[in-house]
Amino acid sequence: MDTCAAEFGVDTPYLYSSYETESEAAPTDRRKVMILGSGPNRIGQGIEFDYCCVQACWALQDLGYETIMVNCNPETVSTDYDTSDRLYFEPLTLEDVLDIYEAEQPAGVIVQFGGQTPLNLTKPLQAAGVPIWGTAPDAIDLAEDRGRFGALLAELDIPQPANGIAANLAEARQIARQIGYPVLVRPSYVLGGRAMAICYDEAMLESYVAEAVAAAEGRGLLIDQYIEDAFEVDVDAVADGRQVIIGGVMQHIEEAGVHSGDSACVLPPYKISYYHLNTIHEYVRQLGLAPGVRGLMNVQFAIKDDIAYVLEVNPRASRTVPFVSKATGLSLARVAAQIMAGKTLAELGIDTEPKIDGFFVKEAVLPFKKLPGAINTLGPEMRSTGEVMGHAAHFGHAFAKAEMAAGTALPLEGAVLISVNDFDKGSASKIARDFHRMGFQLLATRGTARFLAHAGLPVQAVNKVSQGSPHVIDYVRRGELALIVNTPLGRDAYSDGVALRREAIRYNVPLLTTLSAASAAVAGIRALRQSELKVRSLQEHFGRGTLRTSALESRL
Amino acid sequence: MPKRTDIHTILVIGSGPIVIGQGCEFDYSGTQAIKALRREGYRVVLVNSNPATIMTDPELADATYVEPLTPEILEQIIVHERPDALLPTVDGQTGLNLAVELAARGVLARYGVQLIGASLNAVHLAEDRLLFKEAMQRAGLDVPRSGLAGSIEEALEIAGEIDRYPVLIRPSFTLGGAGGAIAFDAGDLEEKVRFGLRESPVHTVLIEESVLGWKEFELEVMRDRNDNFVVVCSIENLDPMGVHTGDSITVAPAQTLTDKEYQRLRDQARTVMSTVGVETGGANVQFAVNPADGRVVVVEMNPRVSRSSALASKATGFPIAKIAALLAVGYTLDEIPNDITKVTAAAFEPSIDYVVVKIPRWAFEKFPSVDPTLGPQMKSVGEVMAIGRTFKEALQKGIRSLEIGTPLLSPPLAGEGLGERLKHLLAIPTHQRLFALHAALTAGWDQPEICRLTGFDPWFVAQVSQLVALERELAGYSLASFIAGRVIAGRWPGRRPLGSRARGPAAPPGGRHPSHLPSGGHVRR
Repeated sequence: MDTCAAEFGVDTPYLYSSYETESEAAPTDRRKVMILGSGPNRIGQGIEFDYCCVQACWALQDLGYETIMVNCNPETVSTDYDTSDRLYFEPLTLEDVLDIYEAEQPAGVIVQFGGQTPLNLTKPLQAAGVPIWGTAPDAIDLAEDRGRFGALLAELDIPQPANGIAANLAEARQIARQIGYPVLVRPSYVLGGRAMAICYDEAMLESYVAEAVAAAEGRGLLIDQYIEDAFEVDVDAVADGRQVIIGGVMQHIEEAGVHSGDSACVLPPYKISYYHLNTIHEYVRQLGLAPGVRGLMNVQFAIKDDIAYVLEVNPRASRTVPFVSKATGLSLARVAAQIMAGKTLAELGIDTEPKIDGFFVKEAVLPFKKLPGAINTLGPEMRSTGEVMGHAAHFGHAFAKAEMAAGTALPLEGAVLISVNDFDKGSASKIARDFHRMGFQLLATRGTARFLAHAGLPVQAVNKVSQGSPHVIDYVRRGELALIVNTPLGRDAYSDGVALRREAIRYNVPLLTTLSAASAAVAGIRALRQSELKVRSLQEHFGRGTLRTSALESRL
Repeated sequence: MPKRTDIHTILVIGSGPIVIGQGCEFDYSGTQAIKALRREGYRVVLVNSNPATIMTDPELADATYVEPLTPEILEQIIVHERPDALLPTVDGQTGLNLAVELAARGVLARYGVQLIGASLNAVHLAEDRLLFKEAMQRAGLDVPRSGLAGSIEEALEIAGEIDRYPVLIRPSFTLGGAGGAIAFDAGDLEEKVRFGLRESPVHTVLIEESVLGWKEFELEVMRDRNDNFVVVCSIENLDPMGVHTGDSITVAPAQTLTDKEYQRLRDQARTVMSTVGVETGGANVQFAVNPADGRVVVVEMNPRVSRSSALASKATGFPIAKIAALLAVGYTLDEIPNDITKVTAAAFEPSIDYVVVKIPRWAFEKFPSVDPTLGPQMKSVGEVMAIGRTFKEALQKGIRSLEIGTPLLSPPLAGEGLGERLKHLLAIPTHQRLFALHAALTAGWDQPEICRLTGFDPWFVAQVSQLVALERELAGYSLASFIAGRVIAGRWPGRRPLGSRARGPAAPPGGRHPSHLPSGGHVRR
């Protein structure tokens, strides 16, 4: 593609394939490397991976490589004509990729940055003799194969939730009984938690299995012990086979059970002890070294009581890499690309975890408003389309900024409606007290109201929809609510709460569906009432000279 | 004209989080514009709340604010950075809305910030559907009959004047057509208008004559201060009017227009640009054409970089966002070199000797309770673009690119009552309509009947029927002969002996060759 239908000879066209009598690709004889992009945006695989591909592309260009980008997504920077040296606008299937590989003969192919799409091609590409750069395909398989991964954890003496793989319903029942309910079930090899669910009893498991076995495409169902009431932590790290450097440790604001892509998270962690942080560091180091990770890795933990359980290790770019990079000023994807090209962390002068100044909160943005009828609670299946970041010296301000950026600014006054399930009633009274002290008027559905009144709080009881007008939704519609705390019952998604949450979303009333998010909101509101929000550019934040810059500026 | 030297610092407002209707295409266009401005020596200040973007990489802009996109926060940043200018047209509706808001609040005037690349009047005219319609009529262009309603009573009255259901409801100033709907009778209208009025930040909705089922075309155009004008690309929607263009399968260049019809759209697009008053920059102009009588109406225009312009840029190699940024700082189209050819200028219209197909990617599997019917409110979360020598080739590459578990147009659509289901799937647009088209042709359905149900142009239906015929022919060969050659069905293995690898001499079957777009307007200096 040259803009002129070959009327002029051109230097920098981009390319597509067709069955024709000759190839016009005219590959060069430079040192070159091929980067596989992430294909169409979808929930669970979006712009974050494009960011990683582009960072890798720039890093490798700086090392003198000719970069070849393969992608079919027209919305991206990776498919801009001047991002890579050679752009192939092609589907990311084995055949298409091999055609390009054979035409270009690059020194290697990078599959780590584009999400699951290129990762799924790793094995067949390797089988076709294509050199895969970075973490070896076998190590990727080790992390994704439950059996091998479990064996590795056992060998390293790292705890993980009890788990098993079932090929059919009978096996699923047996495993779940052994583990004990609730269990988290999902198909293997699926990104974004598709078709993932928490089953509280056998009946739920049975109704789930029929649907999920199809999504698993014959590769089995993963069944895990679901650790209730745990803190979840995400770690992004980079490793070179000798050393593992943690880029950032993020604490989820929603508890484990909400998909990491839909949970708000904060960097650095604000509620985790040094003891647990040290454990996490040590586990990540071991999990990076043992399989020989070369490049990026992401590890997810659930922390409950004294134990840090490893939920997942992904030896590839994760969704949070750009967030961590913006918060720390260290481009992890760039470092990973340099490692893949043979550099070591020592050579790159990266020997410590970057320090974080202040707090960075990432909040997910959900599409419920655009998709009327969608089930609107958070769960183990990812459904957000985008994200925002808020940063400030204090956690409260950072959280308030993130909520504001997500389009649901926290209120400074007004009425708060609290309607929580029975498990949450105890903790809800503390949050209600905080709102009361800040001058908010308290409204609650009858059960919750009784509980709050019992705790000595002035609260106005409001009808649920099923109890007749005027009910909670009338309050939403009349614009009388400034904020809603509504924690649904895990096993009953079709309760009164659904309609309430739907109306809240429609009328843009800030809605918190977990108590941990509600207490973060309390911190945010308190901070907003104490002092105004301030802004600071990333360059001021990091200080101009300290950013590790690429040769991008010289290329401008 | 040389670039402006009276401005030094330029503020760019990003589009915030990825949402349905405003995706990462604005990271692409914004990044391109920032690079172009910095290359020209300007200091660029960027504000975007989305940390996943490439544009917020601290290397890209001179000052990068990952902060909430609210007028208050932007004012703080303006106070701190004191930009000379604000470029609001390279980053989607969010940035443009904020620029309008900052101007309305007097912030821009207070701190001496000039809007570049767009005038408030032009933005206002393009976005206010009623003003736009009136302006188009004054310029002698045809538009769908419509009226603006601020209440349900007014809406019913306007629908009465139009005198034919269905009618469209389009809330003013919303993203991705949020709150938009089609009403099939008065009761339906009431309910949908109530919702639309709430969705609109100014609480008005446009009630519009339905051009449902008409053919939909878009022209991506650019204009400079010397009134040079280029059409970057024409885009034809396979799905007729009624489906949001973000949810439509689209083809570039337009395939079913005669040269005469195309020239007519081109002239009208130029009139739209000058009528709206876009002095410099890019815009997207949408047309509907009645297949029965050829009546052309102007549907809307976006005086900014859009999802379609991102696609047009990728489909042609013409970097619309970059050129828009350079036009905004004073260059003219003939002064901006084409980076790919190095010998031509941006005043040269791209020529296309291939066919591009864009197919949306939906996520209904994540939202099983959501109605997958496609309408004026966009529902897709991503898209793929495929390039081929023919429409058929590009279409099949597009399907392959989607990663939806089928490399072909024919995923399993079978079973009991298929006939009735197919009829339904053809008549009501969903993510499955393309596959239903294939299934109906495979089942031997009559092409005119399919055209009637879908509103697809007969040319597209004929193309897919050629694919079906080809598949039938290939089915006569043994599977082993394919496997031996790493062939993925849908690529034409040519007339070479089957069983060898599908490489080398082979022409794509049949297929009309894409026509070249006429190139180059006259350059005025």
